Amino acid sequence: MADVTGKRILVVDDASLIRLYYRQALEAAGFTVEEALNGLEAIEKLLLEPVDLVIVDVNMPRMDGMTFLKTLRRQGSPIVAIPALVTSTEAAPQDLDAARAAGANFYLVKPLAQDVLVQYVRLMCGISA
Amino acid sequence: MPLVRKSTAAVDAPPADVEELKTALASSRPDERWQAARALIDMPGGIALLGAGLATEADIRVREVIFSGIARTATPEGAALLLQLLRSEDASLRSGALDALAAMPADMLAGRLPELLYDEDPDVRLLACELARGMPSEDATQLMADLLERESEPNVCAATMDVLAEIGGPQALPVLQRSAERFASSPFLAFAIEIAVKRIKTTLDSGR
Repeated sequence: MADVTGKRILVVDDASLIRLYYRQALEAAGFTVEEALNGLEAIEKLLLEPVDLVIVDVNMPRMDGMTFLKTLRRQGSPIVAIPALVTSTEAAPQDLDAARAAGANFYLVKPLAQDVLVQYVRLMCGISA
Repeated sequence: MPLVRKSTAAVDAPPADVEELKTALASSRPDERWQAARALIDMPGGIALLGAGLATEADIRVREVIFSGIARTATPEGAALLLQLLRSEDASLRSGALDALAAMPADMLAGRLPELLYDEDPDVRLLACELARGMPSEDATQLMADLLERESEPNVCAATMDVLAEIGGPQALPVLQRSAERFASSPFLAFAIEIAVKRIKTTLDSGR
């Protein structure tokens, strides 16, 4: 199995149980996990220290996931290219289109099984099985 | 050198007439729209104009001044506008409306919340759970426990569990335990129930 050592993931979600669930799965798979409660906090964290992948919710207070992605993609700094996996309760085709237009690289509908999450995170971090 | 404040009255003062403000709200210049929005908040008929403006407003700063103004004035008309925006296709409008509603006095929403939690749209029920988070623990626990008992949409159930894990009281425990059987096949919901039950029990134990 490929090495995930040093790969850092930022989970951006206002739901504490989701953050905990993702953290548990990703840490068990060897990733280092950071957390942010909304898009604004995520941007602040990323500007201080970029990560290998962002997992982001859509509906969040202060700055929602779509605004976060648009902000992320217009920064003139290394964080502009960080891959983003959107995980959301919104499952309509227009939600997927909106996320893609905002800068999402992939979109998964909640609730997620932990093994599915890890599988996609590994793929998006360029780690083969 | 002493700071000399330049006179900005002639430059920055927004037009005072509602019709002029309405025109300014449609201006191509965000600064002009921002000023018009600020001025309209406290004017008769202003909320309706701002609500219409929000639908097409793309500038985050203008949206923010509208949402914060509606939250500050906390009128029934403003609350109704925000509640309607919870159904928007635009995530930024939904989140802005939710933040503004959460910033309003709790008693403005208390009467509307049960109705939202029975809404036919699961996305609205889910967002309404966030509003319950700002209520007194006992009231929020009752509302979330009742919703969890009747709810079939997994993501709405997850939202109730998140609120219960944070502020839930012991009266939610029987409902959570019954839900554990119902959602045994969903890994996330089973996890969420386990954590919520654990946190409520920990809070209970630490209060003894």
